Amino acid sequence: MFTSIYRVIKFALQNFWRNIWLSVITISMLVLTLLTVNILLVLNRATDQVIAYVENRIEVNVYFNESADQTKVNEALTYLRTLPEVKDVQEISADNALVLFKEKHAQDPAVLSSVDEIGRNPFGPTLVVKARAAKDFDTIISALDNPRFRDEIRQKDFSDYQSIVGKIRQTTTQIRDGGIVLSIIFFIIALLIIFNTVRVAIYIHREEISIMRLVGASSRFIRAPFLVETILLSLFSVLIVMAIVYPTLALIEPKFSQYFGSGAGGLTSYFEQNGVLIFGAQFIALLFVTMVSTALALRKHLKV
Amino acid sequence: MIHFKNVSKLYPPDVIGLDHVNLRVEHGEFISIVGQSGTGKSTLAKLLFAEERPTHGVIEIGGWDITKISNRDVPLLRRQIGVVFQDFKLLPKKTVYENIAFALQVAGIPSARVREVVPRVLAIVGLEDKVQRFPHQLSGGEQQRVAIGRALVHQPKILVADEPTGNLDTLNSRDILELLKKINEFGTTVVLVTHDREIVNRLKRRVITLEGGKITSDVEEGRYKL
Ligand SMILES: Nc1ncnc2c1ncn2[C@@H]1O[C@H](COP(=O)(O)OP(=O)(O)OP(=O)(O)O)[C@@H](O)[C@H]1O
Ligand SMILES: [Mg+2]
Repeated sequence: MFTSIYRVIKFALQNFWRNIWLSVITISMLVLTLLTVNILLVLNRATDQVIAYVENRIEVNVYFNESADQTKVNEALTYLRTLPEVKDVQEISADNALVLFKEKHAQDPAVLSSVDEIGRNPFGPTLVVKARAAKDFDTIISALDNPRFRDEIRQKDFSDYQSIVGKIRQTTTQIRDGGIVLSIIFFIIALLIIFNTVRVAIYIHREEISIMRLVGASSRFIRAPFLVETILLSLFSVLIVMAIVYPTLALIEPKFSQYFGSGAGGLTSYFEQNGVLIFGAQFIALLFVTMVSTALALRKHLKV
Repeated sequence: MIHFKNVSKLYPPDVIGLDHVNLRVEHGEFISIVGQSGTGKSTLAKLLFAEERPTHGVIEIGGWDITKISNRDVPLLRRQIGVVFQDFKLLPKKTVYENIAFALQVAGIPSARVREVVPRVLAIVGLEDKVQRFPHQLSGGEQQRVAIGRALVHQPKILVADEPTGNLDTLNSRDILELLKKINEFGTTVVLVTHDREIVNRLKRRVITLEGGKITSDVEEGRYKL
């Protein structure tokens, strides 16, 4: 039994080495397929991170009138803090607002002099409201229409973050859909390539196979090396993909977090923590596809 | 040992390979099958080792009805019947030793046993001094010895040789014939398909003549006559 297993593995390795170019082409195709899948995974993860980043920065600036009553401002502040959609509210006093404005326009003497010309602080207090998610934004705006302080508010200023988030989601969904189609195409090509690899291997070994049959090798013994070779090809492919994915992530991770922070947890750590699951699942899926393909090829081309 | 009962073999669409053949071969016999080209000699041989199945009739080998033998059981049969062909069918990239060991390995025989059997077989076919040679480094006669050695590894009850001397000159043919006789003396039933008049005449054993798929003569101690 062990002798047979050993010999089957030996024959499989021989097949692998003697047709090394065939093996290389097959593995390349499998690697390409898996890489597409992994790019999709990274993309998914990165999208989550970018959206988290954007949502973290969703702010509504509420500008009060110059003459606004501080008690009204405090009232609005307290009210906003009670809203579940609101993550954080900060107050910028009128004086601070002027300082910030001057800092911002320090390079622009014309603007500065026009402020000086007014002779007094033209700014009122400002509340900076952070929402929990982009969709909460409308609720917060309408909450500020509260008659108790509505008249004190000069302007509500916001960027349309919701549409930004929407665009990010839409774009990544499109990329993902495209990626899924591409993965399926690659999987089908991988299936055909494996089929062809086995077919060619059978053709190359036809003499050996016919002699094996003549001297009484069981059909299981004749088939097994082809299946083992397929397992080897799949295993090598997954290992190569892992050897590509981890260093690549380590390379892009710093650049990525530089822009978007690592709020949602780093890409690398995500792949490290779930590596066994991610690549284990990929190996099993790949093995399933390649085994089916090999079985079909053996059935069609190896009549034993 | 071998029993053909009214065996016919038709190849699609309607080519007759064998036509109602009745044949009984006893244990330890050495029979020659002769006949012109296309008369069904190879067909008869192929039916013996289940390369083909009969269209009609029954074939028994050592009491085993192999008429409708399943693909699963064919390997078992092949380990009891050694086969040799005109074109040797050796693996060109394996040495003499490896070619013979191969037949044992693919049958799942443990390595220790392989190391025991191969030298013994090499001694029978007289190739002890050429174990590390590749087929292309051997004469035709020597290559056929390797093939015969390989056919013997499972100590078969029957050896089927389909024109084993077809590619060999007279001297080499005689050597192979002597080897087959020696194997027969050890107790193996030999079925020899041949075109070679001289061989048949030297043998002085049972000769079966086929014509158009039918047995037209079956003579003890026959001579080649066509
Ligand atoms: N696989 C096959 N398909 C169809 N016809 C076949 C097949 N094998 C053999 N035949 C036919 O069956 C007949 C007997 O063939 P067989 O090979 O048994 O002849 P043979 O006596 O061995 O001839 P030779 O001396 O030339 O080897 C021939 O007419 C041949 O053409
Ligand atoms: Mg023939």
